[in-house]
Amino acid sequence: MAKRHRLLVGGEERTVVLDSAPGGGAETLVTIDEAEPIAIDVDAAELPGFVAFRIGGVTRRAYVARDGASFDVTVGSRRFQIQQVTGSGRGRGVVGGAEDAPGEISSPLAGVVVEVRVAPGDELEAGTTVLVLEAMKMQNEVLIPLEGTVTAVHVNARDSVEQGQLLIEYAPAEAEE
Amino acid sequence: MPKRVLLANRGEIALRVQRSCRELGIETVAVYSEADRDALHVRNADAAVLIGPGPATQSYLVIDNIIEAARETGADAVHPGYGFLSENPAFAEACEAAGITFIGPPASAMQAMGDKVQARRLMESAGVPVVPGAEDIDPQNVGHARAEAERIGFPLLVKAASGGGGRGIRIVESIDELEDAMRVSGTEAAAAFGDATIFLEKYVSPARHVEVQVMADAHGNVRAFGERECSIQRRRQKLIEEAPSVAVDPDLRARLCDVAVTAARSCGYRNAGTVEFLLGEDGEFYFLEMNARLQVEHPVTEFVYGVDLVALQLAIAAGEPLPEDAGLPQPHGWAIEARINAENAYANFAPSFGIVHRVEPPLGPGVRFDSMLFDGLDVPVFYDSLLGKLIVWAEDRPAAIERLRRALQDLLVAGIDTNAPFHLALLDHPDYVSGAVDTGWLEREFEMPPPAEDDPSEVTALIAAALASGLGGGRGSSANGAAGAPGRGWALAGRSDALGARVRHAEGRGWRSGIGSS
Repeated sequence: MAKRHRLLVGGEERTVVLDSAPGGGAETLVTIDEAEPIAIDVDAAELPGFVAFRIGGVTRRAYVARDGASFDVTVGSRRFQIQQVTGSGRGRGVVGGAEDAPGEISSPLAGVVVEVRVAPGDELEAGTTVLVLEAMKMQNEVLIPLEGTVTAVHVNARDSVEQGQLLIEYAPAEAEE
Repeated sequence: MPKRVLLANRGEIALRVQRSCRELGIETVAVYSEADRDALHVRNADAAVLIGPGPATQSYLVIDNIIEAARETGADAVHPGYGFLSENPAFAEACEAAGITFIGPPASAMQAMGDKVQARRLMESAGVPVVPGAEDIDPQNVGHARAEAERIGFPLLVKAASGGGGRGIRIVESIDELEDAMRVSGTEAAAAFGDATIFLEKYVSPARHVEVQVMADAHGNVRAFGERECSIQRRRQKLIEEAPSVAVDPDLRARLCDVAVTAARSCGYRNAGTVEFLLGEDGEFYFLEMNARLQVEHPVTEFVYGVDLVALQLAIAAGEPLPEDAGLPQPHGWAIEARINAENAYANFAPSFGIVHRVEPPLGPGVRFDSMLFDGLDVPVFYDSLLGKLIVWAEDRPAAIERLRRALQDLLVAGIDTNAPFHLALLDHPDYVSGAVDTGWLEREFEMPPPAEDDPSEVTALIAAALASGLGGGRGSSANGAAGAPGRGWALAGRSDALGARVRHAEGRGWRSGIGSS
């Protein structure tokens, strides 16, 4: 079954389709954008973080750390920040929902607040951008994971924030589940 | 030998000193700031003492706290490393007053070398060549300063007597610029060092930065361990250091070493020190300054002279004489050090902070990696960007360059940016390969090339991210990939994660896949 991934790298959206090789072999077919599909043989080693594969016998390896929809990928001496583009195609650098307790939004990254888009009292739908955070020269939108009403905003534009620092508190809307 | 050495430092140099101590059966005491709680130098020490919050002014620079830590833990000696308190005479005095051996020069020698005007005078009287200049500059007496400037010639430098790290230095191209430069330099120096004293120096350019390692014991023996070439600099920060220098032949080496020994003797120096010289294109060299400490780049000397400089420092501090055969006449082979900094080479060398997810150090013959890195390190924002030093040795310079390239390619640091791509690009530059560089070369001639168009890394990264975000097909899964760095948002995406295992963390702050899907 083919699986399509929309990935943002270096400000450009790329499409990577992974599919099983015809005939049920061990290889995986990869199609990047409009290019010809290439067959890769994915390494079975189960080391956390490592992704290794071969293309026509040529070895490739990467080290991947994942934070929600963000991937920090190291290949040799180069490093790539890759963002998964979710179904709605929301703008670049979107940071997905947190595992924060309902009612709290904490910072996903250490960075600088570029813009605060909400104020106490605002009633928001799930997925609304509450603020924009710049980290590693990328702007990341921080979203509210649930429907709710903002009760407190703890940061201002241009504030430096630590990873995990409480940014916003809200009262989740009732009876959602 | 001391029994217990307190390391008044952090990072790779604290680890470096620890290693020699352990080989000699000496226990070590680490001091650390709150930001360095998990640091390797703390973990590897026999005892460790918290000395304050992250900012160095509240921890690594607080003399009283460090002396107290030494007392508390029964340390009988202190190694200051480099930076922080290493060249602070008050710290050396405080150690002596507390009955603790300071592993370094006497406070008097530090003082003499710390004041650049005083050091110039001392060197001149000892017959050490100094850069032509004028020391008795009174900012009020502009007429005199102008006359001295005309005598020296242009371009010249206005420098601060207490200056360091490039601060308080101004280039003057013509007589019209002199007054402004004197004012700016004096003001900057007064603000930074509390001393507005300035002096004038001829601007020797182009010139190489060549320095000589010296060791002096308490018995009057002073030995030189050849030169290091440190001309590859950005904003006066060294990035690559070599031993020997392509510009130094055995005859010049003998003269440099001779002068360096004279310089060390003239100020009653003891322990490890470095005499820095400017080497002009004409082969003339001038005393620049003496660094009263172990240098960052000491390992290149250790490689080509087959010596452990820290072990020698400890022996000298214990009153032992330098070994008879210390200081070979000529270096053996070639060593190059690349400073691995937490910087993004593709974004104007902006500093990079955060969690190091994974480190794979380079290994193999002739490779040494002195580093503070470990999996899970949170690079603190309070200190300089030096993560480690990659040092290689080979039979000759071309082989050393190839070895350094290989080792840089083998080095993997995931999670933060390093300047490894810069070093790799530098090693490809024909001027670096031929050795035709001077201290201004890097900023004048070198431009960081963008990644090659046909670099397959981006494709590899895209495929890896796609695999990690959920492999099409759905072959088995396990919980392996869900192991995140403790307490952080990032999870290590392994194969099992690639196969669709949900990324979750032990602690509640982590982020997981997109909001739309939950």
